[in-house]
Amino acid sequence: MAGPFVLILIVAGAYLAAHWAFEWLGTRYLLVSGAEYLVLGILLGPRVSGILQVSVLDGFAPLMVLAIGWIGASVGSAFYIPRVVRSYGAAYRVAFVEAALALAATAAFLTGVLAWLYQLPLADTIAPAAALGAIATVSSPAGVAMLRRRLVRRGLVVRQIEVTTGIDAFVAIVAFSLLLCVEHTAPTTGPRAPTPTEWAVISVAIGCVGGSLFHLFLGNEREIDRLFISIAGAVILVSGAAAYLRVSPLLPTMLLGAMLANTRRNRGAIRQALSRVERPLYFVLLVFAGAAWDPGTIAWWIVPALVFVVVRAVAKLGAARLAALFNGMTESLGPRWGRALLGQGGLAIAIALNYQLFHGTMLLADVVFTAAIVSIVLTDLSSARFVQSVVGRYTQPVFDAQTPVRPVPALEADRK
Amino acid sequence: MRRFVILALLYLGVQLMLPLGEQGHGSEALVTFGFLILAAYTVGELTVRLGLPKIVGYLFAGMAFGPSALSAVTPTAIGRLAPVSDLAIALIAFLAGAELRWSDLRVSGSKLVKMLGCELVLSLLGIAGLLIGLRHWIPFLADAPGAKFAAFVLLFSTIAIAHSPSVTVALLSETGARGTVAKTTLGVVLLSDVAVVLLFTFSQTLARTIAPPAGAVTLPSPGLVAWEIAGALLVGGAIGLIVALYLRVVQRELMLFTMLVTLFGASLAQATHVEILLTLMTAGFVAENVSHSERSEAMRSALERSAAPVFVVFFALAGAQIAIREVVSTLPVVLPIAIVRALGIWMGVGIGGRWARAEVVERRYVWMGLVSQAGVAIGLVTLVSSLYPEAGASMRTLLLSLIAVNQIAGPVLFRRALVRSGEVNDSVAPNVGSPAAAAVSLE
Repeated sequence: MAGPFVLILIVAGAYLAAHWAFEWLGTRYLLVSGAEYLVLGILLGPRVSGILQVSVLDGFAPLMVLAIGWIGASVGSAFYIPRVVRSYGAAYRVAFVEAALALAATAAFLTGVLAWLYQLPLADTIAPAAALGAIATVSSPAGVAMLRRRLVRRGLVVRQIEVTTGIDAFVAIVAFSLLLCVEHTAPTTGPRAPTPTEWAVISVAIGCVGGSLFHLFLGNEREIDRLFISIAGAVILVSGAAAYLRVSPLLPTMLLGAMLANTRRNRGAIRQALSRVERPLYFVLLVFAGAAWDPGTIAWWIVPALVFVVVRAVAKLGAARLAALFNGMTESLGPRWGRALLGQGGLAIAIALNYQLFHGTMLLADVVFTAAIVSIVLTDLSSARFVQSVVGRYTQPVFDAQTPVRPVPALEADRK
Repeated sequence: MRRFVILALLYLGVQLMLPLGEQGHGSEALVTFGFLILAAYTVGELTVRLGLPKIVGYLFAGMAFGPSALSAVTPTAIGRLAPVSDLAIALIAFLAGAELRWSDLRVSGSKLVKMLGCELVLSLLGIAGLLIGLRHWIPFLADAPGAKFAAFVLLFSTIAIAHSPSVTVALLSETGARGTVAKTTLGVVLLSDVAVVLLFTFSQTLARTIAPPAGAVTLPSPGLVAWEIAGALLVGGAIGLIVALYLRVVQRELMLFTMLVTLFGASLAQATHVEILLTLMTAGFVAENVSHSERSEAMRSALERSAAPVFVVFFALAGAQIAIREVVSTLPVVLPIAIVRALGIWMGVGIGGRWARAEVVERRYVWMGLVSQAGVAIGLVTLVSSLYPEAGASMRTLLLSLIAVNQIAGPVLFRRALVRSGEVNDSVAPNVGSPAAAAVSLE
């Protein structure tokens, strides 16, 4: 028992230290907390201190799957249709174009780069490059959430960033889940293995059937503790079912979360129940993702990781600019609004860990995971600063909550 | 009804899905875990409507979907979910300690000791007497020679008198009861945990002396037992002070913090070879009594919130481990033992209550809260099984059946006691960790 005891002691100490340090840093320097837990995990893992051995990590695999599923459900619960239809259609067009372009550009470019770096045929690098494309698409909502608390008034740019981080998450989850369906590796005991299309249908069906059943199951329950128990059971069951079938838990749980949030009157309570353990599970996910990191036997792992960071940054900035241009929004959003999308957060690490868990033995799986970790460590902390560099430029008069300001119309404020 | 239909559909869905996938990443355990939460929650809601405690519903759900009946929960999955049970026990112990206040104990300490002493002695004598009377119908006693017979009777009786802190805490958390009967019952149950461990150690040593077990079995020395108890108080006290310091300085992320503390406390207790439950109870007790009342209230509220889903799974898993066929086959022997045990508790609480000049409600209703049995007794059964393997299996079956009967009847009786004493409204009982429960606890 000495191992777990030391582990708990270290995690508790590190948690407190990180919590205090980053709260202080976050307040003063707009640093988003998260990446430090990833670094903590790396330090605890088999590659550095060895406190968290591989066997321990295997034992915690259900918890990791649950954390991945919980993130999916949280993402899904944010898609509330009545709020979506209240927003400008152009905002969604811009967001979808940005996400699609960033995904396609990163995946296409990295397919070539990985093939060249590792002397592999292009066909072999499509899957890892597509996984990296999905990871690249994700933008952290933490930065804009941190700034939103300080804003007196939310303008068009802020709303666009919020919409885009949501759509980025949606596109990334769908793309990644379809990739796992195409690359499905589980053996089957039936007469034939299901086709990728059938796996995709199964994946969607788990979420939709689960969503429908749990919609009925929850009834008119509003009491938060009872809701929490039901929702926890639902997310655990759906995540477990998806993992059992070796499809990503992200898509089914996202559908589950979206269905519950849109079909129940108690949406607020559902969000509250989901957010109750979101943070602890997120920290657990980060620590275990860090501990599971292993660059493997492939040499020069840092090269593709850095290439990924650069390619992603260029792709996000370019895609955001083109998306604004195609939709005639450049003037409103500014040419560099894509900077606000550079931060990567929990969903990116969930996708990377999901790929590592289900495809860990596949070619270049370590490269995908390493690239994701490096990118998150480099960008997550600064995600609020990235957003500030965009939002502050266009909404300066209303940005500083300390300064009393006169109310101005949102669009006008954005254009100043 | 709607929820039962959905549960049936989910059960069918899980059965349909099983041939398509493969085990890995503990996914089967996750499916089981999720299904068990929903099943237990559904049955728990039904039992409330029937006027029964929720935990009885959780137990029934576990029994229905466990390996003895529908097999939705396999023994492998139960094994993989063992950490959840461990966490639950640790949480329950911490919460139990946090429910006790030094000011109350100072006033009622001698009353608790008197009531506990009387009921333990009477139920021990009653069960031992019954076992002697029924010896021809009890497999492990029928052919046992004199010394072994005495040793087995002593060990069986000592385990059979144990109570269940988990059921008591879970029911108090569910109902939000904080009256005299609730407090006295909790006090007696917590004290009994220490008393039974000491009594069992004594019985074990005596049994080994009069009937040495076959093979070299190492038993704990008196010094080790003393350390197990005293060390638990020391380690628990230290953890409690750390918690109090955290509550004073940080006061944030209480839910995560309390979970970490309970896990940390359980690991530390194992590492230092001290009694786990006593360690965590002491930690909870010190944290509660050293901290400012508002802070400790916030901690208790966070604990109850995090404990609610854990209770569901803990009791459902406990139910899944009940071997229904064995319980049914041993009922002719188990039922008389359960009745004599309950009678012993009733008489003991009555006599002890009069001796301590306890209130009438305490003398009348506290015994009903002492019938439940769970974790501690199961742990002791396992020890005896390893000590006397030849009789262990049969004794284990009988004791587990007795525990199963008391585990189901106990919560029903305790809830009835709380209702009759006016500490819980029969029609509307607050839910686990609900704001209503928190409000009651503030009073």
